[in-house]
Amino acid sequence: MVEYDSPQLDSVFQALSDGTRRRMLRSLSAQPRSVGELAAPFQISLAAASKHIKVLERAGLVQRRIQGRTHLCQLRAEALAEAEQWLQYYQQFWSERLDALEIALRVETTGPAKRKSR
Amino acid sequence: MNAAPPIEVRATHYFEAPPERVFDAWLVPRTLGQWMFGPRVREENVVRLDVDPRVGGSFSLKVERNGAIIDHVGEYLEIERPHRLVFTWAVKGESDDAPSQVRIDIAASSSGCVLTLVHTLEHHARRARRTLLIIHS
Repeated sequence: MVEYDSPQLDSVFQALSDGTRRRMLRSLSAQPRSVGELAAPFQISLAAASKHIKVLERAGLVQRRIQGRTHLCQLRAEALAEAEQWLQYYQQFWSERLDALEIALRVETTGPAKRKSR
Repeated sequence: MNAAPPIEVRATHYFEAPPERVFDAWLVPRTLGQWMFGPRVREENVVRLDVDPRVGGSFSLKVERNGAIIDHVGEYLEIERPHRLVFTWAVKGESDDAPSQVRIDIAASSSGCVLTLVHTLEHHARRARRTLLIIHS
């Protein structure tokens, strides 16, 4: 658990904790979009949309590049991959433990030395 | 509609041992030190394993890893030997303000039992899993 407690990962999960931002990411998973396009489905101002995008940027989930006069936002899949890795850490933790449990139970069954001492 | 499904990891394992033995392995400190923690499992030393195996009782599984003490703590929420065990799970000083939850179900099979573990992770990651699934699908 300790291994994956990076501040970066915290900011990823924090960014993902908001519904509007999740929908923005979903929309970006199809293609890069301008700030205006990202704001359009929501009843929010461009400024509010921009605020959300900044949170996503800080978490490394979104990259903004300037193309002519528009700001184009793009999803950074690597940051999401890190979050998935975090989940995989737990997955691995438990499957390793269960493997070890199986071995421990087998040793206990077959090991004759254990029983008599008290 | 708005309630996000929890973020959880699952693991299933088959054992050639009766449910009772598999179940008890979770609650006996000496046994825990043979598979969940300790030098046999990874590079760490067991400092102290304390369990109070009753509903509402707590456990503290303390190990030393690279010079750091890590205390895994939790509380038993359900104990139904030998089929079900539910407890909270956290690292003291790190995540104990928002502990996760582990649920274990053990079903007897013809020559042993099948254990299913579901770890529901709290963290502020709460809704991230769904997002990940949606984005990746």
